[in-house]
Amino acid sequence: MSTLSAPARSAPSKATTGKAAKPRTSGSWKRRLPLMPALLFTVAVTQLPFLLTVFYSFQSWNLVRPGSRHFVGFGNYLDVFTDSQFRGAMLNTVILTIVCVFFSLLLGLGFALLLDRKFLGRGVVRTLLITPFLILPAAGALLWKTTMFHPSFGLLHFVFGTDTDWLSAFPLASVMAQIVWQWTPFMMLLILAGLQSQPKEVLEAASVDGAGRVRTFTAITLPHLSRYLQLATLLGAIYIVNSFDAIFLMTQGGPGTASTNLPYYIYQRAFEGFDIGQSSAMGVIVVILTMIVATFALRLMFRTFAVSGGVK
Amino acid sequence: MAAVAYAAASRVYPGASAVRAVDRLELSIPDGEFLVLVGPSGSGKSTALRMAAGLEDVDEGAIHIGDRDVTDLPPKDRDIAMVFQSYALYPHMTVADNMGFALRLRGVPKPEIADKVKEAAGLLDLTKYLDRKPKALSGGQRQRVAMGRAIVREPSVFLMDEPLSNLDAKLRVETRANIAKLQQRLGTTTIYVTHDQVEAMTMGDRVAVLKDGVLQQCASPRELYENPANAFVAGFIGSPAMNLGTYRVVDGGARLGELTVPVPRPVLDAASGLDEIVLGVRPESLGLVGAGEDGFELTVDLVEELGADAYLHGTVDGASERIVVRVDGRTPPRIGEKVRVGLRDAGEVHAFHPETSRRLG
Amino acid sequence: MTTATATRQAEPASPAPRKPKRGLGPGALTAATWIVAILFVFPLIWMVLTAFKTESDAFTDPPKLFFTPTLDQFAGVIDRGFLPYLGNSAFVTVLSTLLVLLLGVPAAYALSLAPVKGTSNALGFFLSTKMLPIVAAIIPLYVISQNVQLLDNVWALVILYTAMNLPLAIWMMRSFFLEVPTEMIEAARVDGASLPTLLYKVILPVVAPGIAATALICVIFSWTEFFYAVNLTAARAGTVPVFLVGFITSEGLYWAQLSAAALLASLPVMIVGWIAQNHLVRGLSMGAVK
Repeated sequence: MSTLSAPARSAPSKATTGKAAKPRTSGSWKRRLPLMPALLFTVAVTQLPFLLTVFYSFQSWNLVRPGSRHFVGFGNYLDVFTDSQFRGAMLNTVILTIVCVFFSLLLGLGFALLLDRKFLGRGVVRTLLITPFLILPAAGALLWKTTMFHPSFGLLHFVFGTDTDWLSAFPLASVMAQIVWQWTPFMMLLILAGLQSQPKEVLEAASVDGAGRVRTFTAITLPHLSRYLQLATLLGAIYIVNSFDAIFLMTQGGPGTASTNLPYYIYQRAFEGFDIGQSSAMGVIVVILTMIVATFALRLMFRTFAVSGGVK
Repeated sequence: MAAVAYAAASRVYPGASAVRAVDRLELSIPDGEFLVLVGPSGSGKSTALRMAAGLEDVDEGAIHIGDRDVTDLPPKDRDIAMVFQSYALYPHMTVADNMGFALRLRGVPKPEIADKVKEAAGLLDLTKYLDRKPKALSGGQRQRVAMGRAIVREPSVFLMDEPLSNLDAKLRVETRANIAKLQQRLGTTTIYVTHDQVEAMTMGDRVAVLKDGVLQQCASPRELYENPANAFVAGFIGSPAMNLGTYRVVDGGARLGELTVPVPRPVLDAASGLDEIVLGVRPESLGLVGAGEDGFELTVDLVEELGADAYLHGTVDGASERIVVRVDGRTPPRIGEKVRVGLRDAGEVHAFHPETSRRLG
Repeated sequence: MTTATATRQAEPASPAPRKPKRGLGPGALTAATWIVAILFVFPLIWMVLTAFKTESDAFTDPPKLFFTPTLDQFAGVIDRGFLPYLGNSAFVTVLSTLLVLLLGVPAAYALSLAPVKGTSNALGFFLSTKMLPIVAAIIPLYVISQNVQLLDNVWALVILYTAMNLPLAIWMMRSFFLEVPTEMIEAARVDGASLPTLLYKVILPVVAPGIAATALICVIFSWTEFFYAVNLTAARAGTVPVFLVGFITSEGLYWAQLSAAALLASLPVMIVGWIAQNHLVRGLSMGAVK
């Protein structure tokens, strides 16, 4: 765009440069207009509260002690950094996100491969398999807590014949099992879409070339799926990092803080401890950490989907 | 109805090295003319058309339609109608709604729209399909709907961007004739873009040949065929393409194998000082001759039989260029055979400057 | 590479690689697929069964597969005041989805079909808001809601869910818009369509399936959202997930009723999702393709 007026070599150049520049600028404002409502709304609802979070994070402010509100600078941050529970919650978040994304992706890939062929009742099986994604996560969590994990009446007790109290013995693993169950269908749907978008001719060409099934899968299908897998990973991670329902409803972060992740920990400090200042500081730290991770993720995504081009 | 004029109009795509997709195009199309823009892909022909439509900016120069300068006007104010390569029909509207959409947007009363749509549908043999959606039409019918959409508006200019390229060969020939007939009947100025030189030659009152954004020649089909302005036009117009080769200038002509091709005096004068010139001879200007006659030996390495005619592809000893010759299709020589080829008429030899590739003489 | 192919060829004789497709394979694979699917959704199947049990049938060791079904639990759920929560959920979901479309369609248009300098930044911005952990904003949102009397008010959720779904919706719709043939848009411009005409009479009908898919995903995410609902609403404006939280204290005693409530609460999105599962696949994959 910037070189626009440079090569105006012919005689009517003075008229043309003006002419060419005018519709561009006025046009671009007209073109930006449809974007504005959504942009302003998003800024107002997502960015302003966050700025307030930053503001609160510099204050000592506990709702239980009205009038105690005052500026403490980086005091809250120092407290957070020396808080071993915060670090534990951070570690749990990382573990939970990585494990859940990985396993739901793996299971989703398996299911998608099973569904990517014609067989009796394929539609029904697909319908069955997507349903855990459609159920309320809250319902799923409560269901797993009771009918699956209950030490003496749960199905796991029946299947394994032990009286293990799963939620106490393996709190984080239990929560992760539920989350994987919840998110596998989502991954499956995305991967299935990828599988079905694969041109048949390419697969036929591979079989003509003498590639066996495994080889076709690793050499042709997996590379084709890579962008779908990346998208699934990214979207899955975005939602799973924020996991709250399962922990809130199944373990309450316990026993102790064994299954506390960052969202739940901040929630606890804010709504059970009423410590606005410190939980805000945690929020800010979480955002900064997420931004660091997300910058890489976004860059990956932009590269993969060529979004940065913007112009068709 | 109106004349269209490009006045040194350019379209420059900005970038590290700006690309002049259309470079100072100077072209005026009188009222009622059917002008074909032809060229290889990337020649800027579509861009030139879209500049007239208002779909591409005019970065330099101007475009006039009638006596109005439309350079800055949006498409809808230019009084044009366009037929797209993909037809660009609105899939959710019926044929009638597709055709009447522009009139509806202009606020033409409904009964009047219905009348005009019916009239155009009659003209294009679409009356039966008015209530169908584009999905339920064949390729040829869709193409006609696209035409109908343009006709209904009674614009002063039709702009057509390769409207036949999605049809099969037979339908294309048929539709080609229909479009030409329709245009004659309506008398509307038409600019028609194609990459197919047969289409260009058969349809256009005049044909403008573009290459790399630059206008090479604009003339009647016959003139383009008989007097191509440069080697590019010579090679582009005509099928199969003209034989073009660089040959040594000798006294009275140019040397092709053992044959001295006679070159008219004015051409030789124009070529004075040149050692070599580019000669062009169409396959149909060559033919088989008897042993004693003027000609040269050609080793046949490919024979294309088309039924009535056959084309021999071969090489002359001592020359690298391949030469194509049209012969009678009933008794073509075989591959590997040596045949004697002669020139039918010395007047059918074209000569071009080896560097500028301009026509000599 | 060569070694891999060599060993591969060594195992089955040349026609063998085709064989598993037609021979014993399909039947066994189909059976295996069915078994895997049923095992995977068994918690759900169990939930449905439990919902029709009496509490004493639900709470047994070993678990009961056969029992006399009863609708008592559903009646119990309604008695517990389920319907107002359902109403809140419906209101919030429908309204926020409509708002997402209202704001998102023009934005997606601007980002896809009429791109100008800086639009890719805008797209990046929308996507990046999705990366902000929602927990980071909950405190000010709580404080603000309290100050402007929006605490335990459905409108707070409408606004937040709109903001929550808008980025994903814009991104998805943008990919659908990119599918619209450029020539068709140009044809409409030549035909004299203004921007609203172009958008609502030409483009929207063409991308309607994509919009439907987007709306569907917004509906699912709004209906199932938990965090905002639990923190910002209670008895008055609570949505169905909030209703389910009521079981957390007494779940040991009311498994059957909990199952019935979970089923009722999930049923609307389950049905919508089943009916529109092809849209769902399309909607999600479009985002990946473009």
